Amino acid sequence: MLVITRKRDQAIVIGEGIEIRILRVGRDGVRVGITAPPAVPVHRKEIYDQIRSANASAAGSDAASVEQLIARLRDVP
Amino acid sequence: MTVTTRFGTFEADERDVVDMATPLAGFESCRRYLLLSAPNLAPFACLHGLDDPAPSFLVLDPRFVDAGYPCELDAGEYERVGASPDEALLWLGIVTVDSHGATINLRAPVAINPKRMIGVQSIPPNSVYRIDHPLPVR
Repeated sequence: MLVITRKRDQAIVIGEGIEIRILRVGRDGVRVGITAPPAVPVHRKEIYDQIRSANASAAGSDAASVEQLIARLRDVP
Repeated sequence: MTVTTRFGTFEADERDVVDMATPLAGFESCRRYLLLSAPNLAPFACLHGLDDPAPSFLVLDPRFVDAGYPCELDAGEYERVGASPDEALLWLGIVTVDSHGATINLRAPVAINPKRMIGVQSIPPNSVYRIDHPLPVR
């Protein structure tokens, strides 16, 4: 892992078109601004991990229960 | 061609193939899916992966559970699916079925441009919607 020190208003450039700028340094957190091309999605890691975990659970869905689920769903007024 | 998935057997052709410009989180190596529907699976559809590890998902339009669901992407996502904000897209919430019941992921929907069959899994930075919104069953 590359470890570098940045101060407020300093930035890091990654590849072409990705810039991460330190906006504010507080006691409990650091506020960063991220500029990236439209093709590069940017996510908070914990949110991304939650979605990844949800996708994995969905891919393992119990297919045997689906028929019953459809019947119950159609039953809802 | 006939395609067999965990959720049933479907008739499909190349027009049903979706290219994921932003793949599903955790399934980055699977870029192509078949979007399959059948009367006996309605209101659900099946998003069936064609590339390894070829995951298969049960999906449902988020508006089925929430009529006011905001079907909107950000500017970069519209660019990725090749659509403008005023074009109608297909919206799919990924459904999880287990012994406790069924939930739909309204936090990170899949949106597909039906004209070009290009899709994204949208993960907005902020959202009031749940990853595990319960399906209305009794």
